[in-house]
Amino acid sequence: MKRLALIALMAIAVLSMAYANGDTEAAADSGPVTIEYWTTQTQSDRLATIGVLVDTFQVMNPDITVKVIAVDENQMATQMNTSASAGTLPALLEAATPNTVAFGTAGLLNEAAATDLINDIGADEFYDGVLKLNQTGSGGNYYSVPFHGWVQGIWYRADWFEKAGLNPPKKWDDIIKAAEYFYDPGNNQYGILVGTMAEAYAEQCFTQFAMSNGAGLFDRDGKLIFNSPEMKEALEYYAELAQYNPPGPQTWRARDYYIQNKMAMFFYSTYIMDDLALAENAAGSLTSENFAELAGTSFDPDLVKNTRMAPIITNTQDAGYGTIVSLAFPDTGNAAETAAAQKFVRYLFSPNAYITFLHMAPGGMNPVIKDIAVNPRFQQDPKGLFENYGTDKMAEIINGLDSIETFGIVDGKRIDAASVIYSKQIIPQMIYKITQEGMSVDKAMDWAEAEMRKLM
Amino acid sequence: MKKTRSLEQKEAMLGWWLVLPATIIILSLILYPIITNIISSFFKVSLMDRDTFVGLENYRNIVSDPEFWRSVMITLVYVVGTTLGTTLVGLGVAIVMNKTFPLRGLVRSLILLPYVAPVFSVVYAWKFIFDPVNGIFMDVMVERLGLFEQRFNLIGNPETALWVAIVFSIWKNFPFTYLMILARLQAIDKSMYEAADVDGAGRWQQFRFITMPELYFVLGSIVLLRVIWNFNKFEDIFLLTDNLKVLSIYTYFKAFVGVVDLGQGSALVILQFALLIGFILFYVKKVLKW
Repeated sequence: MKRLALIALMAIAVLSMAYANGDTEAAADSGPVTIEYWTTQTQSDRLATIGVLVDTFQVMNPDITVKVIAVDENQMATQMNTSASAGTLPALLEAATPNTVAFGTAGLLNEAAATDLINDIGADEFYDGVLKLNQTGSGGNYYSVPFHGWVQGIWYRADWFEKAGLNPPKKWDDIIKAAEYFYDPGNNQYGILVGTMAEAYAEQCFTQFAMSNGAGLFDRDGKLIFNSPEMKEALEYYAELAQYNPPGPQTWRARDYYIQNKMAMFFYSTYIMDDLALAENAAGSLTSENFAELAGTSFDPDLVKNTRMAPIITNTQDAGYGTIVSLAFPDTGNAAETAAAQKFVRYLFSPNAYITFLHMAPGGMNPVIKDIAVNPRFQQDPKGLFENYGTDKMAEIINGLDSIETFGIVDGKRIDAASVIYSKQIIPQMIYKITQEGMSVDKAMDWAEAEMRKLM
Repeated sequence: MKKTRSLEQKEAMLGWWLVLPATIIILSLILYPIITNIISSFFKVSLMDRDTFVGLENYRNIVSDPEFWRSVMITLVYVVGTTLGTTLVGLGVAIVMNKTFPLRGLVRSLILLPYVAPVFSVVYAWKFIFDPVNGIFMDVMVERLGLFEQRFNLIGNPETALWVAIVFSIWKNFPFTYLMILARLQAIDKSMYEAADVDGAGRWQQFRFITMPELYFVLGSIVLLRVIWNFNKFEDIFLLTDNLKVLSIYTYFKAFVGVVDLGQGSALVILQFALLIGFILFYVKKVLKW
């Protein structure tokens, strides 16, 4: 009797699961769908803006509910991997392209959905270089849809440089000379900020130096050529430069020291533009108002005027660096969710929604669609940055998106393995070992090469 | 058969039925993960495809990695340092707090503050205090007192980070030790000290021959608990320092950062578990004398 009851109970459980499964499948064309949207925009004001966009979308599409989940950039790979193994992938995610490509090569993404969407918008609407970063090994397909991007460079105190008679920090020699000149730890003054903590920022800074010395990870056939004299030279230079950093391992947060007039140069993306220009944004980085005892400084309204950006670094060749943030459709195996996510992305690319999104961080979020870049509504940002920096300077920055160089693209060919190396943070760990643990450059390079080979 | 069942047997049956749901929940939440963990430590775990059996390869990889042994050493120093520190500081404070003085009640409760404050907020306060450029610690040490010639990054520097983490843990956790010891101290019969006084025993002898034996088992249990807790400690160290790889953090990096390697992660956890269990068995037999 008992056994019969147990069997009946199990049968009911199995049937109800099967039914529930069939239910979601049937929702492909009708019925409510809830999708998760992972974004790397974790700041509350940005999430509020995204919330408004989502609300508008939901009013227009009452059957679709979009749940926005903020995920830290450094945690993205970890979160994706764990949710893939748990079978709880989101329907849509927004992340740096090296990450989305790494997910794509790991088979976590629905490439067809991304390719369809790009073709739907029109591939020639996008900047060429930007699309290339998303291409799969086999031509014509894309891992993810480019969404917005930033360019990186050295931001520096033009007034200090002028007074000291130094050249702008473009060539290797000029950069290190200036860093040494302004480094005065006894007076709490530092020369430059480059990443030395084992996280993504260190790789972003270092990539530009490696590229400017013609050092790559792979040749065009995908062979690992990391351990080269050019790479070694770039690392040695980087380690020397890092001596003029503020003490200890540093990451992008130390840009505050620049805003406090304690540093001459720092690597940063164009995201810094509004922090520099707007007092209320910068106030959060300052301490003097809250802690009068500390030798802080209050906001310097002339900082924008005195700050310049050097987007290109040169040694044996010119190199620029930036990152495109892309939208990807994880392979959830649920057609209804993917269709809903596609619909949402299509909406995000509609001019009104797109411009609203980009205006969250003018300067930092730049359009990947050519038409939007020259759209007068886009050029009238609420914070007045275009006005502040001038439309020409902004156009120059946006155009820079088209010529981003990364380890993952060699002679216009994308090398998938580079993304895996990026997401495993091997280069940042190597930089940490050299600059913080005192490991020799040769030994650290051997270590890194061995780690890279393990991944292939 | 049924009729011969006594009332006692019935009671026992009822007892089993009552604990059954809880037992099932505990088994499925604790035993099941442990078993899966042991199994996956022998596999190369793939997130999308089937797992492949690799035998002891995960273990071999770990044991041959010098970073692993380094993190074992760091963990040992951390555990020994924090356990000694919390116990000694807790003992000292408990003895002082056992004396009568004005406002003792207030002071006793204030001491508990580090223990009850949320880790997250406390860690960020520490980070701010030790910030090399803007932090108050360097400001006082370098600018005001001139004890050091240059500012340095106490938390970030890999050589000093371990010691900061140890001091942090002692500061954060000694109130627990203090609380336990104080409770025991209050239960010691005062007449023993009076008798010792009459016999002419000094302060040190009283401490050595009355207080310590009375505290022996409390101290023994506290040390054991602290070792277990700090051997597996993750959040304090991960949040406070930038790259201090104790075993749990080393495991986290191996298992979850970038390309996931759950097989190796599982093997690491098993090794960590084995080390801890080995210690506990030894300790319980030798020190707690069970």
